[in-house]
Amino acid sequence: MSQEVNLHEQVGEMTTHEVHHDEHHGHHHKETFITKYVFSQDHKMIAKQFLITGMIWAIIGGLFSVLFRLQLGFPNETFPILEDILGKWAAGGKIQPEFYYALTTMHGTVLVFFVLTAGLSGTFANFLIPLQLGARDMASPFMNMLSYWFFFIASIVMISSLFVQTGPASGGWTVYPPLSALGDASEGSKIGMDLWLIAMALFVVSSLLGGLNYISTILNMRTKGMSMTRMPLTIWALFFTAVLGVLSFPVLLSGFILLLFDRHAGTSFYLSDIFLASTQKALPNEGGSAILYQHLFWFLGHPEVYIIILPTMGLVSDVMSANSRKPIFGYMAMVGSMFAIAVLAFLVWAHHMFVTGLNPFLGAFFVLLTLLIAVPSAIKVFNWLTTLWRGNLRFTPGMLFSIGFVSLFISGGLTGIFLGNSTLDIHLHDTYFVIAHFHIVMGVSAFFGMFAGIYHWFPKMYGRYLNNTLAYIHFWITLVGAYLIFWPMHYQGLAGVPRRYLDFSGWASFNQFDGLNRFISIVTIMVFAVQLLFVFNFIYSIFKGRRVTSQNPWGATTLEWTTPINPGHGNWEGEIPEVHRWAYDYGKDGRDFVPQTEPISPNESPESKH
Amino acid sequence: MAQAVPAEQKWWSGGKSPFNVEYGKLMMWYFLMSDAFTFGAFLISYGTIRFASNSWPDPNEVFQSFPGLGNGLPLMFVSLMTFILIISSVTMVLAVQAGHAMDKKAVVRNLVLTIIGGIAFLSCQAWEWTHLHHEGAWWGSNPFLNADGTKATTNFTNFFFTITGFHGFHVFSGVVINIIMLIMTLNNVFERKGHYLMIEKAGLYWHFVDLVWVFVFTVFYLV
Amino acid sequence: MHQDNNTEITFHHEYDREASRKEVIKITVILSVITLIELALGFWLYLSHQSLGPFMVHLIKGVILILMLAKAFYIVAYFMHLKHELRNMIMTIVVPLLLFVWFIIAFLADGNSYRNLKNTYDPYHKEQSETKVQKTEHGSKETDTKVGH
Repeated sequence: MSQEVNLHEQVGEMTTHEVHHDEHHGHHHKETFITKYVFSQDHKMIAKQFLITGMIWAIIGGLFSVLFRLQLGFPNETFPILEDILGKWAAGGKIQPEFYYALTTMHGTVLVFFVLTAGLSGTFANFLIPLQLGARDMASPFMNMLSYWFFFIASIVMISSLFVQTGPASGGWTVYPPLSALGDASEGSKIGMDLWLIAMALFVVSSLLGGLNYISTILNMRTKGMSMTRMPLTIWALFFTAVLGVLSFPVLLSGFILLLFDRHAGTSFYLSDIFLASTQKALPNEGGSAILYQHLFWFLGHPEVYIIILPTMGLVSDVMSANSRKPIFGYMAMVGSMFAIAVLAFLVWAHHMFVTGLNPFLGAFFVLLTLLIAVPSAIKVFNWLTTLWRGNLRFTPGMLFSIGFVSLFISGGLTGIFLGNSTLDIHLHDTYFVIAHFHIVMGVSAFFGMFAGIYHWFPKMYGRYLNNTLAYIHFWITLVGAYLIFWPMHYQGLAGVPRRYLDFSGWASFNQFDGLNRFISIVTIMVFAVQLLFVFNFIYSIFKGRRVTSQNPWGATTLEWTTPINPGHGNWEGEIPEVHRWAYDYGKDGRDFVPQTEPISPNESPESKH
Repeated sequence: MAQAVPAEQKWWSGGKSPFNVEYGKLMMWYFLMSDAFTFGAFLISYGTIRFASNSWPDPNEVFQSFPGLGNGLPLMFVSLMTFILIISSVTMVLAVQAGHAMDKKAVVRNLVLTIIGGIAFLSCQAWEWTHLHHEGAWWGSNPFLNADGTKATTNFTNFFFTITGFHGFHVFSGVVINIIMLIMTLNNVFERKGHYLMIEKAGLYWHFVDLVWVFVFTVFYLV
Repeated sequence: MHQDNNTEITFHHEYDREASRKEVIKITVILSVITLIELALGFWLYLSHQSLGPFMVHLIKGVILILMLAKAFYIVAYFMHLKHELRNMIMTIVVPLLLFVWFIIAFLADGNSYRNLKNTYDPYHKEQSETKVQKTEHGSKETDTKVGH
């Protein structure tokens, strides 16, 4: 086959590079438990490792939110059982202030980085890139394995910070100095902060190893005929995500290194003019700027939200098209808008800093660039809605979560327009309005996209289906619950309720929200319980779920459904299929769907121009 | 599976690398871009703090010593370091080219020269750091005044040691990588593979280290 | 042989060792000359910075920065061989680097603004930063601003 590749005129010689190790081909060498399940180099197994680690993290991170919602909803109650479990952190059955801050900090860190970055990209990039591109594995399976294990070590370090005497980092997930730079400033700025920084540095390494692999696999390892514009949108999304990660995480790493020096080497990169109340001392540090850290942090921090949301946009597009039995509307517009989002992601970071002392004139540019993001976002929403329009909808759980994703993305995206304006932001900054905005638009909706992906590709991962009844319960309670939790927070935020506060009981004007806070907390607990139901469904279905009996249960066009039901390492038993068309030939010429592998027949209507 | 031969190569049609490079080289390039953002962030932070300061020490007052020749010689020693690095980059290119020609002897010779250049650079840096340290400069400690005679903050030395240290760490890793390449060459690993492409990737890394030095040299010693 | 798809395929690059060697020599000379010009400008700044006006100082520094970019170009284009890669690959590397433009402008502009704000609203800071200190030999204790850890 390879000899058919057309040679360039002046080219006389071709070089082929062995990319994979011998054991990937055809018949299996004997695999031990260790090489198959632990130090596996099979992208599908690594994807499952990322997914399951991410799920464990999601449970931990979700539990944190339940704990601090207990405090916010029931500030006057005591829960003696908490003291039994948490000891001094919940002395007298009440969440202690330091612990409350640790909880919110770790909730953010865990969900943003460990669940929605590693758990999401790690799972679907690893699983889908080789399968949907027609590759036997990633470009470098070994680096792929390293990527997971760096993530694993980062997880261990982060977990261990929960168990140190002074507690984990507690300065908010953004760990702004000077609080995070000065060990004397708070309990959470002591060893917990160091562990946090080390864990995050390892995390950056993991993300870099993964990202480089995803990019070079997508560029170099596409099967014959799989031109870039024939790739499913999932792959495009994962491609842009990887690019964002590769270019922005290093800036965060630099910021962290400077922070570590400030903590331990007596430097003043971020420190100046500080009097520390806890020690009653003025510090000698001079000449630094805390705003510099914020710039460095948000140079990653903003692309990070697209690192979270872009993969789910891709997943949702594919799930939605397959379950509407219609081509995705505006394929090239989808690619173009993702590209636009990826570019703008790098240009808007300071809109997180409008009230930190940023130059207001400079801020005006950031407002403008920020509001530009509405354009590609709106294009995407429009295309999803028109994909659904007059489609032959199949309400599979994956499809429901995709529709839920679009709903949440619209609701959360609209409030982004409010917050992107620096003048409005003066009022709304650091209020519950912000919490409501980003939880809906990138937290919950990213989870919905992830769930859509899990429900849709679970049959490919494990050769079994997830239970549908549990899935429908999961969907409806999560969707309604998410709106019930976060919608009211907009009103709280507009009324000026600040975020990260432990207790509002001493604040007369906010007493009107006591009942609302209790309501939100109760819904939070219910939604959390339903997520545990999903975890049960997931584990149960791996072993006892209904078996998949056909190769292509959803009638999808993409390549992963041409592999055996339980593909081995190497994915395809025979030759890798060749691709002849784009990924969205649904309902064409009276046929339900045409797989990408089917050659264009002469009397077929012209390829839908994408 | 007959296929019409297109008039010219369709690089993007799948089944081959669109850039006609193996994945390892692609990864190295994109890794270096990523690393460029790490260094970029450091240097831009340095610039930001400099812009945020009313005055800044004059590098010519600080870096003015040459081992064996004493003080009052600004720019001399760092020029030496710069030329060492440029020359080591040249020998690295020659090693890569020798690899293309499958000329093992030339690969070995040029790799050895590159390694020597790298070690020489690191030694120079060690001398300079020691010298500055003896003058009282370190992280969190800056004995030098601003150019206008006012008291300087410690951020001049903070950034100097952090960034040159990070660069030195890269040079060190580059030397280690080159030593590994040398050992692999001597063991005929690349002869057996039939190509020396691995050396090309090591070369990219080494040139990147040189590239970063161009920026560090300019912003710390010249402007 | 179904494994064939499993390998990456690249085409042999045209390669002429003698031409490459000449190119290396040429680039080495260019880099050395640029460095020498930079050093000359550096010495000019050093020897006559009292007599040069602020405009000339900035001009010279600007020229040095442009020369720096020229050196970077020669290293990347020739030593790292980027100029001889396919155009599309060059684009994937050069285009993302454009992000540095806004990265640099925004950071430096805000650093500058921070200084202005501090000078405006923190008169003590301004006064301190204008107070000249006795100039002493390097390393002597009087100017040692060692910060406690």
